[in-house]
Amino acid sequence: MTTTSQTTTVSNGVNVEALLGAREAITAAPAAGQFTWRARCAWVDGVHSSSTCEGFYGLGDEQARSAPHTIDADHPEQFAAEDNGPTPVEIVLSGLASCLTAGVAAVAQNRGIQLKSVQATVEGDMDMAGILGIDSDVRIGFSAIRVRFEIDADASSEDIAGLVSQSQKRSAVFDIITNPTNVHVTVG
Amino acid sequence: MKTVTTVVIGAGQAGLAMSRELSRRAIDHVVIDRGEVGEAWRRHRWDSLRLLTPNWANALPGAPYRGPDPHGYMRVSELIARFDDYAAAISAPVQGDTTVHRVHGSEGDYRIETSQGPFRCASLVLATGGCARPRVPGVAEVMPPGVFQSTSLHYKRPDDLPPGGVLVVGASASGAQLTREIQASGRPVTLAVGSHIRLPRSYRGRDIEWWLDMVGALDERFDAVENLERARRTPSPQLIGGPDPVDLNALQELGVEVVGKLAGIRDGQALFSGGLASAVASADLKMVRLLDAVDGWVKARFLNDILPPPHRPAPTRLPENPVLNRSLIDGGIRSVLWATGYRPDFSWLELPVFDPRGRLRHRGGVVDVPGVYALGLRFLRRRRSHQISGVGDDARDLADHLAQHLAGARAA
Repeated sequence: MTTTSQTTTVSNGVNVEALLGAREAITAAPAAGQFTWRARCAWVDGVHSSSTCEGFYGLGDEQARSAPHTIDADHPEQFAAEDNGPTPVEIVLSGLASCLTAGVAAVAQNRGIQLKSVQATVEGDMDMAGILGIDSDVRIGFSAIRVRFEIDADASSEDIAGLVSQSQKRSAVFDIITNPTNVHVTVG
Repeated sequence: MKTVTTVVIGAGQAGLAMSRELSRRAIDHVVIDRGEVGEAWRRHRWDSLRLLTPNWANALPGAPYRGPDPHGYMRVSELIARFDDYAAAISAPVQGDTTVHRVHGSEGDYRIETSQGPFRCASLVLATGGCARPRVPGVAEVMPPGVFQSTSLHYKRPDDLPPGGVLVVGASASGAQLTREIQASGRPVTLAVGSHIRLPRSYRGRDIEWWLDMVGALDERFDAVENLERARRTPSPQLIGGPDPVDLNALQELGVEVVGKLAGIRDGQALFSGGLASAVASADLKMVRLLDAVDGWVKARFLNDILPPPHRPAPTRLPENPVLNRSLIDGGIRSVLWATGYRPDFSWLELPVFDPRGRLRHRGGVVDVPGVYALGLRFLRRRRSHQISGVGDDARDLADHLAQHLAGARAA
């Protein structure tokens, strides 16, 4: 009979120390925690548009990236468009999935759980009678959103459920979608 | 001006426990209160309230419960009677009807201006507790004018509310209990549920408080807990002083409508978070985790065979699509009851002891200026700090510190 003992270092690629350090720093200097995120969107043609995310404000100053990111949005051919990118509502769903998935990875790292694979499938239901103005009683946005996670990790199913639960609590996009936000739109 | 070594502000369980510790150390002191002993309990509790902890768990320092019903849950009137007896037994120097207007001064020389004249003291104990004010969210300010509003601190009985629907905001101990009796009074309740703690009243034949005690959860210390801020914000569990469940399943069986956390009020509509299922899943998960810990404790002590078998309360059931808004102007909801928590009130404390968010700066009750202490706050030094039985150990620790401070001040 052999007995093996080994110590494993969990690596999900999340720098938890840096995140915990940021929490301490922002607790000590709350003004540094005030962030403003931005996207700039330009109409291309038809319902095709292109958004650019570049600088943001935070840590008390303007922050820059080494290169901007662009996300194109369009409508599919079924809507007589050219399908140059996902629809804006799919970008919202993808934002939710990405936010929750990042949360799962960060929480797993913090709890010492090694992830092998994480898949999130998001669905949002929409009745087009709303957006097309056919029935004013129908909500224009999603009537329901479902997220299903499939996670392979060195952990019990209960611990995995705990990861998913905690990721919802700290997810900005989950909060943005589940709670109302005042939106101010201006021209000029 | 009266001069005394130590002034204790507040004559509830915390102030009395501290008085006993000071007397044992021969530190001369006075306990002042705006009213009588246990004034907050007399003034700010609803009529039906029974303590959440069973009687055996409500020992005051040196005075365990010796009544006829150790497994019952006492009414507030019984608790107040116990306070009166206790104050007499320990000869607490209580001066009632003394409202504090302001506290000022510096290191070791404090002035307390009160409705009965000023006091001067070398040390000071803030024992007014963590539940002096309701914690009402800012959204209350935009409530449509026809809606009657109250808080769990002011509410006394269902008939104080107008007839008709009631929106109870908050589903912790206060909100869950009040929802139950308001629904039973014939006023249909919509209960807005944010993050909450679900616990069964009893488990494997024992009260849940007994298990929390046994597994050591209540003795967890402030300097050992991973995230003290979060621990201090942990809401009271959905429990009532009695055998009946007041969790969301039980409340829904009574006809209560469960909705998400109140997220805002817009155009006369209360808007509820779509995160209800998430809050509920989290509470169920944490409950199961605690019961797993209890089962582990039982198993490790080979007690499995002599205790009733483990069981798990049914997962919380929710409507498939919980409503996301309710009108506050169509007459359906006539009143809103804020059960959104409590906070201490140190508005009279004119000392540099507050953080940027206005919270008292202290380390385990040792306040940030010499000779000043706080007692009776949530998770002050231990998870049980805010309980009746939790204040004794804290009072002893802080009285030790206070006595050392006085000795040091004299030596200097």
